[in-house]
Amino acid sequence: MYTKFVRPAIIALVAVAAFQACKKSGTTPSSGSTGFDRKGMLTNLSTNIIIPGYVSFQASAVSLDSSIAAFNASPDLTKLGSLQATFKTAYQKWQAVSTFDFGPAATENLRISLNTFPADVTQINSNVASGSYNLSSLSALPAEGLPAIDYLLFGTGADNNAILTQYITDSEAANRKAYLAAVSAFIKTKTTNVLNAWKTTYPATFIAAAGTDVGSSVGMLTNELNQDFEVIKNYEIGVPLGIQSMGTAFPTKVQAYYSKISLQLTLLHLQAIQNIYQGKSAQGDGLGFDDYLTEANAQYNGGSLNSAILVQFATATTKLQALSDPLALQITSNAAGVNAAYTALQMQTVLLKTDMPSALGILITYGDTDGD
Amino acid sequence: MFNIIKQDFNSFFKTDKHIAPLAVLRMAFGGIMFICVIRFLLKGWVKAFYIAPKFHFTFYGFDWVKPMDAAGMYMLFAVLIAASILITIGLFYRTAAITFFLGFTYVELLDKTTYLNHYYLISIMAFLMIWVPANRYFSVDILLRPRLAVTHVPAWVINIFKLQLLLVYFFAGVSKLTYDWLIAAMPLKIWLPASSHLPIIGGLLTQLWVAYVFSWFGALFDLVIGFLLLIPKTRKPAYVLVVIFHVLTSWFFKIGMFPYIMILVTVIFFSEKTHLRIIGFVRRLLFISPDYQPQKTIYRSAASHLVFWILLVHFSLQLLLPFRYLLYPGKLYWTEEGYRFSWRVMLMEKGGTAFFYVKDPETGKRTEIINAQYLTDFQESQMATQPDMILQYAHFLAQQYEKKGIRNPIVIAESYVTLNGSGSRLYIDTTVNLANEQESFGHKKWIIPFNEKQK
Repeated sequence: MYTKFVRPAIIALVAVAAFQACKKSGTTPSSGSTGFDRKGMLTNLSTNIIIPGYVSFQASAVSLDSSIAAFNASPDLTKLGSLQATFKTAYQKWQAVSTFDFGPAATENLRISLNTFPADVTQINSNVASGSYNLSSLSALPAEGLPAIDYLLFGTGADNNAILTQYITDSEAANRKAYLAAVSAFIKTKTTNVLNAWKTTYPATFIAAAGTDVGSSVGMLTNELNQDFEVIKNYEIGVPLGIQSMGTAFPTKVQAYYSKISLQLTLLHLQAIQNIYQGKSAQGDGLGFDDYLTEANAQYNGGSLNSAILVQFATATTKLQALSDPLALQITSNAAGVNAAYTALQMQTVLLKTDMPSALGILITYGDTDGD
Repeated sequence: MFNIIKQDFNSFFKTDKHIAPLAVLRMAFGGIMFICVIRFLLKGWVKAFYIAPKFHFTFYGFDWVKPMDAAGMYMLFAVLIAASILITIGLFYRTAAITFFLGFTYVELLDKTTYLNHYYLISIMAFLMIWVPANRYFSVDILLRPRLAVTHVPAWVINIFKLQLLLVYFFAGVSKLTYDWLIAAMPLKIWLPASSHLPIIGGLLTQLWVAYVFSWFGALFDLVIGFLLLIPKTRKPAYVLVVIFHVLTSWFFKIGMFPYIMILVTVIFFSEKTHLRIIGFVRRLLFISPDYQPQKTIYRSAASHLVFWILLVHFSLQLLLPFRYLLYPGKLYWTEEGYRFSWRVMLMEKGGTAFFYVKDPETGKRTEIINAQYLTDFQESQMATQPDMILQYAHFLAQQYEKKGIRNPIVIAESYVTLNGSGSRLYIDTTVNLANEQESFGHKKWIIPFNEKQK
């Protein structure tokens, strides 16, 4: 009896196969990955980009902290000026490590602790006035980190003379100095913790998790790269421009609103993400996602996905470079220009978030799958 | 000719068969469900999938299925655990089977984000379990009421499970007979190298020929394994293949419990002798004294006509559903019209990013939606590549903005989707106001067809 089942089944099969297989789907056959060295990429990224990035940012956090100590001890215009410069350096260096919010940085909640903006000026001022606050609490996020210092050093007066009085003659001068020191110490501690982990045990963990699933280093890195890219797209540009608020612009919501280096920071941030993507560092152009995509022969619109991504990085950079600081001013005076930059970033979101993980089989969401 | 058919019919449906395979299936299914439900809880998925989300993607026609509050959901999972235990040991069996089927299916109907073929299979298996006397042998029910014990059942009682599993494998195989799978070796060409860090075999996985071997072997396996399991001569080697195949897939892919479920339930194909030996083994394991060898007693279904019609409808649907995609134009993987409930497993590497815009028709002003405000990451990524979910979300956004005071808000979806390495391309017509489009079983004209040459 079984043969009676089997024979018609086989005939049916052949028929279906002939029917379906002839319908060419149009998928471009790529030659497949021939063994990309993921460990090599992770090694390059951690050794040449992540660790040096944290070393450099932690050093600037330390000098920011000592600059603040010096300023607090005897505030004057010179010290304020040099402190402001130190702060700008720290904010610039931060852009290079913003992406790595997994592992040690995730433990410290580094990205949201150090760079939740816009700063909540009301909360900062009430913290200064009361002198009692808990920087570890979630609600304190918009009142701490680099945006808080940005406000304290650049936004508490119309010019540096006025700002200086806030730290000398103002009735809350002592509290303000204490708050400045506390916020800075918080940054320094968290950053130092992260750096220590990366200097000791974490790199081995990072390189060993060489899979592509959720929780693997490539998976986490891809996920955070995208999260961080969306920080640029949404928070540095989109929200201030009013993209998500029916066109009502909020220029004061830009990153580094008071020190007016928003665009400069965004360009550094974008460059940092491109460097991670390309595996580029002071040591040269090492293994990165670009090589990984090339190895996998990933396709986009008739060309290679890697070149599409590089072109889009270049386009976004050009559109941003066409603007100038202060970005807040551009948002009101040159909305079309800012919008063009936003659109370029949006297209890159698609390539980094959809095309790249899909071409490499990287899982970034949780839950079981059966491929549909 | 007619006689032969009648003979086959009788041997498939009516011949008396020993009940042991059914008792083993009951324990295997109940046991693995127990593990499945506990695993689901431990992974925190009850919270992540059914309590945390603000919005749920219900199935068409099942909008009335709503999640309970946290306490209710956890209670339900506790009930599912209890039911799976009761099924395993065969206590209050029918009530337990009905409870498990209803409870599990309810959970699956809550949100199609989590739709998986293997959850669908669990629902079906639980449904079939309701109609069979799996507690009439080697169960606590029999311990309590020995007069219910039977040794033999009509063949259909056992064969419906074989038929169901055969259909699952066979349709999974048929769905692999495509250009993408056989000629392009997609998506295995993407997925296998992603596991190249595995010890020993890792190096092989990056070889192109390996992707082809796996693709062709996988298709062939699915097509014939059900038949090979049916034929006594090939059964043992076929089962060895089942184990190897599913263990391999569980290493390479994140498909959860599915491989283990299949390895366990396909035991049903073995003969009564094997199953009696398994039961004997379980007896010794539990220090239960040897069987007292009851007389041959045969189970007679109380409502056999009703059961016959229910099963007839069920299997007719099983045969037809996988082919409903033929009623829709366009590429199935792209439109996913008629995709679910058809045993299409692991066929697509599909990803997408969707930007939604809500426009006020009065002022002409528009806003981009931050999807994370309403959806979990998992929901967002599933939604971006599935047109019915895109439409549901668009309707939800329209409601939200109506509440905010915008009359007849226009909702536009700008979604970019990549399929099996095609590279992303526009998925949904961005000139269509999705707020005005209705869900139906008809073709969605606002899906931009998949073209080989894009743009």
